[in-house]
Amino acid sequence: MASTEEQLLVKKIQDGDEQAWSTLILRFEGRLTNYALRKIKDHSSCQDLVQETFLGFLSNIGNFDPSRYIQSYLFGILGNKINDLLRSRDKSKIIDHAVDSSGNQLDAGHADSAMGASTWYRGDEKKKLENDALIKCLNLLIEHLLQKKDYLKLKSIELLFVKGVSNLEAANILGIDNRTVASHRHYANNFIIEHLKKLHLSPDVFPQFSQQDQD
Amino acid sequence: MTITKATLDAFIDDHLNEQDSIRVEKAVRESPELHTLLKSIVASRDIGDHSIGAIWRREHLSCPTREELSSYKEEALDTQRIDYIKFHLEIVGCNACQANLLDLNSAKGPKANPAAREKHRQFLENSKLLLPKKQ
Ligand SMILES: [Zn+2]
Repeated sequence: MASTEEQLLVKKIQDGDEQAWSTLILRFEGRLTNYALRKIKDHSSCQDLVQETFLGFLSNIGNFDPSRYIQSYLFGILGNKINDLLRSRDKSKIIDHAVDSSGNQLDAGHADSAMGASTWYRGDEKKKLENDALIKCLNLLIEHLLQKKDYLKLKSIELLFVKGVSNLEAANILGIDNRTVASHRHYANNFIIEHLKKLHLSPDVFPQFSQQDQD
Repeated sequence: MTITKATLDAFIDDHLNEQDSIRVEKAVRESPELHTLLKSIVASRDIGDHSIGAIWRREHLSCPTREELSSYKEEALDTQRIDYIKFHLEIVGCNACQANLLDLNSAKGPKANPAAREKHRQFLENSKLLLPKKQ
């Protein structure tokens, strides 16, 4: 959840406060530009993308939930814009092709709304609730591990889920036993499933739980 | 490198380093199975199904705060936390945190040249006109 100060900043911008708008730009443009520069070497293009990102944020400001982290939202918009710009690159072509042939083109306007904004779900409130519940469970899991200072488990789970490596690769990176990594994966899955149930959600709505235990 | 569903997921989110990204790309080209899998992930995302990894990356769930990154830079955190942040930056390769750290490290900021400064100034002025009208 965003800090009170950040929530207030958003509310002020929603009320048309120029000073708050300047503050937001000054606060975030440095990190956004550096983010873009990692993918696009031309400084001027990066500056354009960052400015478009702010405009994208502004155009949706009425719907922005102040409790959301501004940074995640802005990085989301910028990421989409960078991908759009890099479309000519082979990697994007592969993904584009996958999109085309599945017959499900992404919303044309998705670049202006970071993934996770309501438009991403195409108004599917149920999906949004499910995803919000999963965010809650993941946050609880991470908080729980941090509280216990169980950094090894956190690293293991982050490698598996976020970097998408196999158990064996995670074990090699961390210098631990393959079976220990497998037990970390089990632990995380069980934790999430248990907390989803507490939120009265069936883990079946997230198909990956049936697949995640494989490799 | 074993390419799992989660790897393809990270690939779509542009969360792999360049080397791994090239490997995945090549593998997807050469394997119809991987291509089909990639297609199914894109399709399921389109209807709003996101994997744990996609949600974790998108919401930056394990990212240290900006303040913490600043302390990391000064090594003013406990060793375990420093070790974890280093892992998050270098092994997981979090783009957002790397960008934040670069920004914290660059004294001049992104508006180093006069043209960029002018463009920034103009944007600030012009974009104000697009703010919601004061009640
Ligand atoms: Zn991060």
